[in-house]
Parts: sequence; C-alpha cells; structure tokens
Amino acid sequence: MTAPAPLLRVRDVAIVHDEATRATPSSVSFAVRPGEAVLLLGPSGCGKSTLALALNGLVPRSVPAEVRGSIEVDGLRAGIDSVARLSTRVAMVQQDPDAQIVTGSVLDEVAFGPENLLLPVEEVLRRSEDALRRVGLWARRDDDPAVLSGGGRQRLAIAAALAMGSPLLVLDEPTANLDPQGAEQVYAALAEVVATGDRAIVLVEHDLDAAIGLAGRAVVLDRLGAVVAEGPVDLLRDRAEELLALGIWLPTATLAALRLRGAGVGFERLPLTAAELREALAAHPEPIAVALPDARSFPPAGGSASPDARSSPPRAVVPRADPGRNDSAGEAGGGTASAPPLVVARDLRISRRRAPVLHGVDLSIAAGSFTAIVGANGAGKTTLLQALCGVLRPPKGSVSIDGVDVGRADARLLGRRVGFVFQNPEHQFVTSTVLDEVAHELRRQGLEPDEVERRARATLRRFGLEHRAEAHPFLLSGGQKRRLSVAAALVAGAELLALDEPTFGQDRERAEELLALLSDLNAAGTTVLVVTHDLQLVAEHASDVIVLGEGRLLAHGPVGAVLADDALLERSGLRPPPLHAALRDVPGHPELATVTRFAELPSSGGRAD
Amino acid sequence: MAEHVGRTDARRRAALPSASRTSSSGSSPSSARRSAPLERLNPLTKAAGPLPATVMLVLVRDLATPAAFIALALLLLLLGARLDRRNLLFLALVPAIVLTTGTSLSLWADPARFEETAALLRIGGWTLHAGALETGFATGLRLGAITALALLSGLTTSGPDVARSMVQQLRLPYRIGYTALAAFRFLPRFGHELEVIRQAHRVRGAHAGRGPFAAIARWLGTIVPLLAGAIRHGERVAMAMDARAFGAHPTRTERHVLRWRAVDTAAVLGFWAVSAALFLTVPALAG
Repeated sequence: MTAPAPLLRVRDVAIVHDEATRATPSSVSFAVRPGEAVLLLGPSGCGKSTLALALNGLVPRSVPAEVRGSIEVDGLRAGIDSVARLSTRVAMVQQDPDAQIVTGSVLDEVAFGPENLLLPVEEVLRRSEDALRRVGLWARRDDDPAVLSGGGRQRLAIAAALAMGSPLLVLDEPTANLDPQGAEQVYAALAEVVATGDRAIVLVEHDLDAAIGLAGRAVVLDRLGAVVAEGPVDLLRDRAEELLALGIWLPTATLAALRLRGAGVGFERLPLTAAELREALAAHPEPIAVALPDARSFPPAGGSASPDARSSPPRAVVPRADPGRNDSAGEAGGGTASAPPLVVARDLRISRRRAPVLHGVDLSIAAGSFTAIVGANGAGKTTLLQALCGVLRPPKGSVSIDGVDVGRADARLLGRRVGFVFQNPEHQFVTSTVLDEVAHELRRQGLEPDEVERRARATLRRFGLEHRAEAHPFLLSGGQKRRLSVAAALVAGAELLALDEPTFGQDRERAEELLALLSDLNAAGTTVLVVTHDLQLVAEHASDVIVLGEGRLLAHGPVGAVLADDALLERSGLRPPPLHAALRDVPGHPELATVTRFAELPSSGGRAD
Repeated sequence: MAEHVGRTDARRRAALPSASRTSSSGSSPSSARRSAPLERLNPLTKAAGPLPATVMLVLVRDLATPAAFIALALLLLLLGARLDRRNLLFLALVPAIVLTTGTSLSLWADPARFEETAALLRIGGWTLHAGALETGFATGLRLGAITALALLSGLTTSGPDVARSMVQQLRLPYRIGYTALAAFRFLPRFGHELEVIRQAHRVRGAHAGRGPFAAIARWLGTIVPLLAGAIRHGERVAMAMDARAFGAHPTRTERHVLRWRAVDTAAVLGFWAVSAALFLTVPALAG
C-alpha cells in the first residue's frame, strides 16, 4: 500500500519570537498524512506551543515572530496565506476553554466558524449539528456555554474546530486546565474523532497515559527545540532512556517498567500502556520486592516522578534541613501520630450565598505533615483550605492554628503564622519590585527597616531570586513568579504554607518543580497544605490526604492507605493515581496491589532516586 | 446584507412549541423566549422611538410632562414586556428614583431662594417652601422619566440582538459588532477575577487602612493584575477568533435575522407622535 501524500509538511522550521535571542523551536521537519494522529512531545520551553500556533499561521501573523523554513498544509503555506484561509485546512483547540468561547449559546458557538466562512444557513446548521453530536453536546445546544463543565466547554471547543471542516486538527494541551473527569470526557471525544479517521490530528499533550492510546506517531523535540526522534509511537519504548534523559515525560507504565528493569525484572519490550505493563508483569514469576507503603527511608521523591535517568529541571533552591522527617503518617483523623496537631477544626461549617458548603468537618493536621486536600469538583476543597487558614473567616471557635482561634485572630497575627498562595501568583502581587514583594509582610509586622532588608534579601537568596530583586514581579518567568509567591508567603516565618490548586494549567515539568520545592520546604519543617486534583503528584509528595465529598470529610489518613483504597476513591468521584491503576490487579502479583508511588517500586540495587 | 440573510426566520420558528421544532432548528434561547410584544420589535426601534423624548426631557422644568412620560413608559412595559421578578424590580426602580431624588433635593434646596412661595412645613427655624418641593420633584420626575424610557429597551432587548441590529440595519462592520459581543462576554470572568484579586490583596494586607486614600490605593492595586490578565485573555480570544476565519469575508452568514418591519416604522413614528403630543398638550392642560 502506498502512503497517501502528506497533508501537512513542516520543513526546517525555526521560530524566533520578537524579544527572544534564540529560536524555539530551532529545527523541525516532519509530515502528517491524512487521518494520522501525531503526538508532539518535548520538554518545557522547547517551543511546542509556538510550533502548534505556526501550523495555521497565527505565528507570525498574530504573534510577532520570525519564522524560517516552510509549513505547507494541503497546498496552502502557513504564515504566507492568511490565517482565515488556513482555517479551512487547520483547526485549533487551545488549552484554556474559556479563551475560545465567543458567543452566548452552544449552537451559536459551533456555528460561529462556518458563519465566518459565509456558508449557507443550511450548511452551517448541518455542520453544527454533526459536530455537536460527535462530542455529545447536541442535547445542550441551547445552553449558555458558561453553564457547561470545564470538560464540556473543551468538548465544545473541539466541536467548533470540527465544524470548520478542516482536515487537520491541532490541539495544544487540551486537558491541562481540566480535572480528571473533564480530561476523560475530552479524550473520549477525541477517540471518536480518531476512530472516524476523517481528520488528521497533531496533539501537544503532557498526559501521555491518555494520549498514547490515540496516537500512531510521535515527533519529539529536545530542550533546544530540534527534532530528535520521529516515527511510530513505538519509539517511546525503544528509545525510552534516551528520551527520559532529554526531559521528556513518558507514560506511567513505561516509567514503572524502567524502574523495575533496573531492579532485575526483565521486559522484552518496554510497555506503553497499563495493559501492556500488566501483561509483562504477569509473565514474571517471582514476587516483586515493593517497599512498605509508608516507609519513607529515602528523601522525598527528588524533583521527579521518574526513575534515575532523568535530567532534573533546575532544582529547588531550598536547603534541606533534616532528611529524617516524620516517618509515620498517622491514623485517620489524627494526622501524624508523633507530632502535635498544628491545625484543628471542630464541627467546621461554612455557607456561601446561604448554601452550606461544609457540613461540620472535624480534623486535625499534624505539624510537619504534607497534607493534600482532594475531592471531586464542588466538594468544598477550596472553601476548607480558605477556612482553615483564615482567608475565609471560620465561625469563632471552629478552627485553631497552634492554639490560636482563627475566627478571632487579627490579620497580622495570621500573616505571621500562615502563608497562603493563590492559584495565580499574579493575583497576590501587591508591590512593584520583587524585593518589596518579599519585604511587604515583614513591614506589615512592624520590623525595623534594616531587619526587613536583611531578611527579605536572605529569603530571595533562599528561593533563587536575588538576581531579580529590582525587577517588577509581573516580568518574571512563570516558575519565578510561583517561587516569589511562595517566598512572600513564608518570609515572616509562617509555619503553615497553604496552596490552592498550584499546579492548575501548568505543564508536568513545572508542576513537578513546584512540588519538589514544597517537599524541600516540608523537609525543612514547614507544614504544607495543598488543594490539587493530580493524585499522582499527591502520591509522590504528600504524607497525608484529606478526601472531601459534598462538604463532608470522607477520609483523612496516610497517603498510601487512602490512595490505595479504590472503593473510597470511587465513592468520592476520584480516579486512582495512574501508577496504582496500572498495578492494582496484576495477575500473580498481589504485592503490587497497594503501590501508589514510584518510590515503592524497587530500582537498581535498591537505590533510592 | 449577505445573500443568505432571510433564509431562516428564527422568530417564526421560535413561535412553535420547542418540542415540535425540527432538529435543524436554528433558534437560540434568546429568540425562543421572545414572545412579549416589545421584545418582538427591532432593538433599534426601542432606541430610536424614545430618543427625542429623552433629549427633550432634559430641558423641561414642569412636573406634569415627565410624569406623563413615566406613565406612558410604565404602561407600555406592563403591557409589552415579560413581567418576571427581575423586570418588576427594575420597574420599581422608577418610583424609587423619583421619591429619593425629589425628597432629598427639596430638603437640600436653599430655603432663601423660595421665600416667596408658600411655606408648607416649619421645624424650628427651618421652613419647607412649596417652591423647593416643586423644583426637587421636577428633577426627580425627570430622572425617573429618562430611566423609564431607557427601560423600554433595556428590559426587552438582549445584548447580542443590539449588536446584530447594529450590524444588520445600521451597517456597522461586523468585525466591530461581533468583537464587541465577544468582549461583552469577558465581563463575568473579570468580575470573578476581580473578586479573587481583592481577596488575595486583603489576605496580604495590601493598602490596609480606612479612608478614601487607602480605598483608592486598594483599587489601583487591583487594576494592574486585572489588566494584565485581561490583555492576555483578550489576545487569546482574538487568536481563537482568527483561527475560526473571523474576518475572512466582508460579510458573514446571519442565522438570526433581525428585520426592520413595517411595525417598527409604525412604532417609531407612533412614539414620536405621542411624544410630541405630550410635550405640546400636557403643560397646557396641567397649567
């Protein structure tokens, strides 16, 4: 069978943004044939998103940049022909569903593109209906997009792209802003599109567990933005160690197998999916020597969920005080048994707009613990976090931090004991230089100017920001902004650091970098409290987990026990962490049933990461 | 107008019960709910009709003329608009404006200016003169009348329909009209974002303190992050629109056709005639 002519042909493309000094991507060539699904992979900052935007000419026509090389789609040349002309060949789905919705009803939204193409009304409606049926939204055509869930809005964006009728669909991190349920919906919709085979897909995605089932081929960029590998997705297994060293994320099954192979478990071929991993392990006769779920004999998983070969991103800058931290996370509701409780809530009830959100939560969080609050959308996670920290005033007597009643404490006192980090760091910047930002809380505490200066500079050094001391906070890079927000929260010596969805909308590498920083702070004695929906990150970094469901406490206990409790997760509307999902029922290996963290798997010579 | 305009009449289809609508129906919820008589008029009608009266009302000084326009507007709204809770609350706004403005202006007015008019009320050394009351309520009624006329359009027209009628009847370039519509949809998002920023700044104790200067500083402090977010969001939305061929052709297909019908012309002319009649006869009758 001869291959059909390529639909998309990218030749020697290098893109230099205005104000940038080097090209990212720097050298990219690949082709996509009709009906193919191609994964575009690469470490953070390699130019994947820029490349995706160049495929329909938005770079350079809307985003100023210099594009070298050529991009041809079905006879049109991106960057030379207008974006509007390209839109009939290339349709786009971006990361943020809200930034793609421009009308007030689901049907109007899908019709928007075909209307711009000046198609007859009948054709507009036919395409809209077809696209909405394909993503399962036809029944909601009269709704306002704002009432759809995140996953629903992103499926709407996919329908809007399908309605353009273009043979190529480009998706840039389409699930990064979604919770696991939303991501599942989007992947179910994409699987339909791939199964129909009428569209080629270029997919930029960090969640390879979801994407691997769809994609036939992969294009891999290195840190400089040059193609290092291109071919069928099997290259992810055949060149796994090389790609890992480049900082590419691999599927959970592949990472687990790499680690186990180091410990002597033989794999004929590395697995890419959970099913392949299970099959390979089932053929392995001896039991696998897993570590005890909660024995933390090694330092907290250092900067990555992956085995040894990975080159770490620039590491967190916090000195590690005491690697032998609290070993045993405590029993349910009690937090860490050996440590005194830092935060205690008794019958905590909160209502918002007269609707009860929390119905009497009792818990105590141990000093020195790293506690994650998890739960389905609308479970009350953010409300609980805010009430525990006094961001939302809890009723008097219902929450105390180290004996201080949060309902009565004044703001300055709370500011000294609790650091709160909002989801978007920019929201909490209140001054115009990085130094002032850190000094702000110290001044609020009424310290002498010399003391303020000394401690602010020391904190900047600790967080690797001293060279940006005079910069405006808004001009920092994304990772620096995040570090600054944490630095400002901790500068006055807060013993409790609380973060609301700190990894939302970030790629895997950034998320890991932040969690590694939190682990280091935690190891140095800070109690960390974090709301997140990434359960693998929770498994790797947290010591305790609080599970909320509909405003009630469903569980509170050590991370290993809670995350391995499938019935509990099911009941809470959560999905098990991918590693646990892959290992929980491997035939002949009951010892793997409780594994949730990579660190529990044996690696070469029993060496920790 | 685009050559496809007129192929669907969303309004006619919307008149059918929703269950009997065919699956290819192009009606949107805004047109499906459109049923009250004022809602069926073209948005421009409801702007053009009351416009001369609104301008003239600024100039009148008597009590009866604005009162007559309030009566007219409220009557039209009661007969021609949907009377749900939200709309009724807005209707209640009109007498509230008249009473509060009228009362407060009467009380604040300098009594010396009205010494020659009858004294209605004496409290200690302070006298309420009939003239003060009259001037105060004339202003209150004028404000109330202008509000009531604005409600004729405001309570019976959706934002998207205003933009559509500007594009379809006034030949406003659709790139402007629909971009404005998309921008209109940013508002709830920015409202939410502003709330979060305020909360974050409060937690950090930014510009704490009382008084107007602290309040201004607080407000300015929230503007920078809000604008930074808004610009980024706007750029992304613009790219998403470009990627869906926005601006590809000089016109675009209109599924929601807003017609200018004979009834619209009649309504505008009728409203002008009634306005003129009121301005000419009411002061004389009342006088």
